[in-house]
Amino acid sequence: MIGNVIKYEQDNIDTDVIIPGTYLKIHDYNELATHAMEGLDPEFPSKVKDGDFIVAGKNFGCGSSREHAPIALSTCGIKAVIATSFARIFYRNSVDGAFLLPIEVDDETYQKISNSDKLEINIEKNEIKNITKNETYTMKPFSEIIAKIIAAGGLFKYKK
Amino acid sequence: MTETLFEKIWNSHVVVEKENEPSLIYIDRHLIHEVTSPQAFDGLRANHRDVRRRDLTVATIDHNVPTTDRSLPMIDETSSTQIKTLEKNCKDFGIKLFGINDPNQGIVHVIGPQLGITLPGSTIVCGDSHTSTQGAFGAFAFGIGTSEVEHTLATQTLWLEKPKTFEILATGKRKNSFAITSKDIILSIIKQIGTDGGTGHVLEYRGDAISDLSMEQRMTICNMSIEAGSRAGLIAPDEKTFDYLNHRKYTPKNYDELVDDWKNNLMSDANSKFDKSFTIDVDKIEPQVSWGTNPAMVSDITGKIPTPEEFGQNNEIQIESAKKALLYMDLKPDTPIIEIPIDRVFIGSCTNARLEDLKDAAEIVNGKTVNADVDAMVVPGSQMVKMEAEKLGLDKIFKDANFEWRESGCSMCLGMNPDILKPGERCASTSNRNFEGRQGSGGRTHLVSPVMAAASAIAGHFVDVREWC
Repeated sequence: MIGNVIKYEQDNIDTDVIIPGTYLKIHDYNELATHAMEGLDPEFPSKVKDGDFIVAGKNFGCGSSREHAPIALSTCGIKAVIATSFARIFYRNSVDGAFLLPIEVDDETYQKISNSDKLEINIEKNEIKNITKNETYTMKPFSEIIAKIIAAGGLFKYKK
Repeated sequence: MTETLFEKIWNSHVVVEKENEPSLIYIDRHLIHEVTSPQAFDGLRANHRDVRRRDLTVATIDHNVPTTDRSLPMIDETSSTQIKTLEKNCKDFGIKLFGINDPNQGIVHVIGPQLGITLPGSTIVCGDSHTSTQGAFGAFAFGIGTSEVEHTLATQTLWLEKPKTFEILATGKRKNSFAITSKDIILSIIKQIGTDGGTGHVLEYRGDAISDLSMEQRMTICNMSIEAGSRAGLIAPDEKTFDYLNHRKYTPKNYDELVDDWKNNLMSDANSKFDKSFTIDVDKIEPQVSWGTNPAMVSDITGKIPTPEEFGQNNEIQIESAKKALLYMDLKPDTPIIEIPIDRVFIGSCTNARLEDLKDAAEIVNGKTVNADVDAMVVPGSQMVKMEAEKLGLDKIFKDANFEWRESGCSMCLGMNPDILKPGERCASTSNRNFEGRQGSGGRTHLVSPVMAAASAIAGHFVDVREWC
């Protein structure tokens, strides 16, 4: 999986900035996506390209249980969020609906990745290659539980 | 082998458990609302699935209902569509709905306990992070996303990773138990353990300072467990719990038998081991006010806005986040908290809009008038709370003081209905999240207790509410 980085050097990026409450009434995913990250970066929907990755600090996706958050990011084209840690409901929502991959990295890796870097993520090898900088990082492996749900393609395909 | 309360509840709900696999956990109660359920029902239809246990599933409408006169047509068409969609889904699948004009309508986490749907020792889910509120009854209650809502509707079970356990021991006695509330206790805890201090854990609140609290105060504590990142909050049930749930609309017929069982089983064993532990002495707690844009950015009422360096303590990201927060909040370091003027007051939400919250706020307000520069509103947590408050004449006290008195709903806690802050407005709010834009784009939220909100409405700025009672 290859994509470019949109980096936010922040901890605690919450679900209210990922998709503000007022848009939770929207049923159509494409319309929802036009408001992704509106509370933090209103330019986001116009600059994001299919296959991009978000990189951020700790506790990404804290706050509400709204699955609209990973849905909005995923519908914009985001394939993975790389962060130093995740809030649990966001993490499970991302995996349950097979919307995007929540990938945990250590602080050092987070510091090394810059905005616009081109990365290749290999979840079989737990490896992130920084093509721009010619560096290779290790991602924290998914727990076996989460790996199985990801491999199945989401909660409903797991143990079907 | 000793077990914690959480482990006992978990073990009694395991359907399938294998090493290195998620555990399949049985769900006793599923509460649903209009915002996180429509796609779940779409999924059921697309896959020709039915609701497995409609008798264990209950719905209400809370997030985007107007809090003004409900006999008038709704202006917001998308909200109206979402409400009608839930009505249709409940009708099609045979689910009990407390609809917009039902006397039992209210915020889902307020009506669960009020109706006796919430029971000790049970597993409770809802597509809403503040489901943790109901952990105050010794239930494992947690928020889920829409995929899991669909899974629960279809199977009455969920595949879960077993959370770890985290003991929060609260000792001592509050110096002024009217002015220093359970909201101040939980804000102090989050200030110290951080917004991700509880990630992957279920918090069990224990100790004399917790036993001392009423059920409604305990719900405020468990409600905000999610703001510390935890999966759920939990308090072992006691006589107060059993009294609260007795004679409610849906209290089970064999209630006395159940209480005997709960008394024998629903507590952490002596010497049981928690994965983490934190102790807080409530003697030292002052009234709290949040100053930033997450619920760990909190100050004592006698304190000042910190400098980013004081807040961040050598952590660059934390320092930057404090700078960003101060910019958004339009606050300068070293400003005394009591000098911050406010434009709006919101007494409401699943955190602090139950009867006791309104009674305490009314006691502060009684005979006084809201400051001329402040717009203040009270939004009861449920229509039952509203009715009980009106029986006590609280509505009159608030209205006489120039508060607006509204119908129940989530309202300005999350800004999905017309109750929102205008850009730049500063609000003293009894809700749970001070994130950027939470109460409306550009709105500035300060999290406080109901008595602090009430006193600030009168004064026009934050005050040391201990001097008011």
